[in-house]
Amino acid sequence: MAEKRLNEMRKGEKGRVTEIAASGYLRQRVMDMGIVRGAKIEVVRNAPLGDPMEFLLKGYNLTLRKEDAANILLEVE
Amino acid sequence: MITVAIIGNPNVGKTELFNRLTGMKQHVGNWPGVTVEKKTGTFTYRGEEIRVVDLPGTYSLTAQAADELIARNYIVDEKPDVVVDIVDGTNLERNLYLTLLLLELEANVVIALNRWDMVKERGIVIEVDKLSELLGVPVVPTVAPTGEGAEVLKEVVMKAAKEKEVRRKIVMGYGEDVERPIGVVEDAVRKDASLSGRYPPRWLAIKVLERDGQVLKLVEESPHRAEIMAAVK
Repeated sequence: MAEKRLNEMRKGEKGRVTEIAASGYLRQRVMDMGIVRGAKIEVVRNAPLGDPMEFLLKGYNLTLRKEDAANILLEVE
Repeated sequence: MITVAIIGNPNVGKTELFNRLTGMKQHVGNWPGVTVEKKTGTFTYRGEEIRVVDLPGTYSLTAQAADELIARNYIVDEKPDVVVDIVDGTNLERNLYLTLLLLELEANVVIALNRWDMVKERGIVIEVDKLSELLGVPVVPTVAPTGEGAEVLKEVVMKAAKEKEVRRKIVMGYGEDVERPIGVVEDAVRKDASLSGRYPPRWLAIKVLERDGQVLKLVEESPHRAEIMAAVK
């Protein structure tokens, strides 16, 4: 299975979080939002200019800046 | 007077339920020092007046965001008699994160399981009694727009306010690797009777390990700071 950064995933692609490569506030915030190791994430869509991106996880939609999404590593399904 | 704080994630019907409970008896101001709106109101239940404080809607209770810190400080410092946690029943997994943080703060939690109409409409099955048993807190299904469950909620809140001390505590475990350091730091924190009297020791230990800015400041002021910080390593 391929490993990708969340910002590199395309619409409709799904994956499982393997690592959060951030520290401090961003790490805390991302984890507060439900992005934890093992969480399943699906890319719902990109904004017209590509940034931000919208995801589906744990039954809700979450939008992240690409810059922040780049810190999240996933195993693509 | 009994004080009840209302908390929940953003967009769970928190303000709607607040309005349901308090009707027109509200006062809107600001939290001291910040431009975050503070709403308080009252309701009367069987002749007793109850004060209701609407806390900012948050997903978490870190020290890094102003609204989260307001909510957290209110709960740890003002110690409201009851904290009503409004949970969106259609999104339990997301919402229960805040609930667990509140339990860690040892707040006297009552859950309003809101959007109960939508839960049923979507065919979601929630075993209310089981949820209540697992979390060790009362759970009341509510529908904020119609007021369904609001009277039961008032009754349960009053009961919780009066039975504060008999509530059994549910401890959410994080697994051995994390529990060991929590235990070590908690033991060190308990040596400061004043600090561990003001805040739940386990919560302090977890926050110290998370390097929470506000709690680290509290520890710095402690005469036992060296022991506590040594326990972290």
